[in-house]
Amino acid sequence: MAKRGNPAISRAHALPSYSRKNSSRVQTIGIRLLFFTFLFILWQTLFALKIWNEMLFPGPLEVITTAVAVLQDGSMATAVLASLKRLITGYGISVAVGIPLGLIMGRNRLIDETFGTLALGLQALPSICWLPLAILWFGLNEIAICFVVIMGSVMAISLAVRDGVRGLSPLLLRAARVLGADGASFYIHVLFPAALPSVVTGARLGWSFAWRSLMAAELLYGTVGLGSTLSMGRELHDMGLVVATMLIIIAIGLIADRLLFGGMDTLIRARWGTER
Amino acid sequence: MAELKLTAVSKSFNTQAGVITALSCVDLTIKEGEFLCVVGPSGCGKSTLLNLIAGLEFPDQGRLLLDDSEITGPAADRVLIFQEPALFPWLSVIDNVAFGLKMQGGAKQHRTARAMELLDLVHLSAFRSSWIHQLSGGMRQRVALARALALEPAVLLMDEPFAALDAQTRDMLHEELEMLWQKTGKTIVFITHNVREAVRLGTRVLLMSADSGKFVKEYPINLPRNRHLEDVELVKIASVIRDDLKEVVATASGRKGCPNG
Ligand SMILES: Nc1ncnc2c1ncn2[C@@H]1O[C@H](COP(=O)(O)OP(=O)(O)OP(=O)(O)O)[C@@H](O)[C@H]1O
Ligand SMILES: [Mg+2]
Repeated sequence: MAKRGNPAISRAHALPSYSRKNSSRVQTIGIRLLFFTFLFILWQTLFALKIWNEMLFPGPLEVITTAVAVLQDGSMATAVLASLKRLITGYGISVAVGIPLGLIMGRNRLIDETFGTLALGLQALPSICWLPLAILWFGLNEIAICFVVIMGSVMAISLAVRDGVRGLSPLLLRAARVLGADGASFYIHVLFPAALPSVVTGARLGWSFAWRSLMAAELLYGTVGLGSTLSMGRELHDMGLVVATMLIIIAIGLIADRLLFGGMDTLIRARWGTER
Repeated sequence: MAELKLTAVSKSFNTQAGVITALSCVDLTIKEGEFLCVVGPSGCGKSTLLNLIAGLEFPDQGRLLLDDSEITGPAADRVLIFQEPALFPWLSVIDNVAFGLKMQGGAKQHRTARAMELLDLVHLSAFRSSWIHQLSGGMRQRVALARALALEPAVLLMDEPFAALDAQTRDMLHEELEMLWQKTGKTIVFITHNVREAVRLGTRVLLMSADSGKFVKEYPINLPRNRHLEDVELVKIASVIRDDLKEVVATASGRKGCPNG
């Protein structure tokens, strides 16, 4: 028996499956690389064949040149910062409201039957549908956009957390009560950490919903931001700018997901011992 | 002092199958330092009894007193250990053990020191920073035991704690529990399906029947300690209890109630 460190993990190192796993990872990366190189070449070939009008179908080189240009002159940075500011504000509020609400819905029947049903109903409404109402309520401003972002993500977060709480083992909760957890400390030290896997799932889902809602709102309501950069590209018939912006939106979505939730995934896998 | 006194305790549940009476008019006194074992057929109300004492549930009728004060909810003087270890996967082994102390608001330094002592007691100090899923079933149950003991409860309630373990691990845990009881003189209420286990550990064994929802027989166990599961005397007493248990299972008539109110 190992005296120091983590016995289960040191044992895992000795297993042959570990190295097999490692080599299969290299393989998947290789396959992906090949696939995207192929896509890129296909794109360039189609462009070079001039099947479609250049105005409607930009080539990869044009996109890259535009991307480099807007990244260098700082206009893209301004747009990205403006969008991220709205996203972080709206999403932050969603998380701060959605997680506690979900925890309470999971425990309290009355709250679940009222707020839970409401959340379920509102989730059927695409969040961009809130924009007209938001503009009437708050005016054509940042608050209106944030409101749409919040409505787009808060329900998904709280419902996922609620489901997580409902799925907890009753025995675990009883054990916590026997050991003296009650009131607020029951929520903070037991319910929240116990539901952490669902909290992360919900937060992740909420993040992607918030991102989508923000882009929709910005497309409709022109102000500095990524969404409005897209509509500007359309108005100027600058397809290079449109595609470059789309690629940047994808990149931000992926990087943010990795940064925000990658670490949480690792933590949960280590503690719960769940394999993926 | 830690004397438990139950008077005319009744508890029933409303279920789809109708009203189920788990306990009816149970009278029971458990003395300080007693090691009481309860055996009985499945579904007779043993877990219900412990849940009531733990304060997780409340009686329909009757009173439960610990040293003359009414039991109104869970408290650190009565800690319940379940058949499953029910450890917290988000905490390391040592933080699991220290959890109850944290709920009491103890200083971090004191909590850690106390938790280390208890991990030593159950021979798991080497695993203090492991995660729960990295432990074996027997190790987990020992952590659950340490976690309960951290609160220094006057009464330890154990609901089939060793039922899911293999014979060797169970033997070892019997010895640890025996040692702990002799050292601390805690009051222990121990539920089991294993009659020999009850005789091995208990100062008194109670037989409960599903039929009447109460205790039907009592066996004081005066064998010298430490006992072994294979002791001839122990096996003899166990076989008597087992025969009674069989009879209790066989003669179920379905009448439950308090004699003249
Ligand atoms: N929360 C509950 N809701 C409804 N019925 C319950 C509940 N808890 C217990 N019961 C019923 O009460 C009776 C006694 O249950 P209890 O769990 O106390 O039995 P037990 O003696 O511990 O059985 P086992 O040996 O199988 O653990 C059973 O018939 C059970 O169905
Ligand atoms: Mg039971």
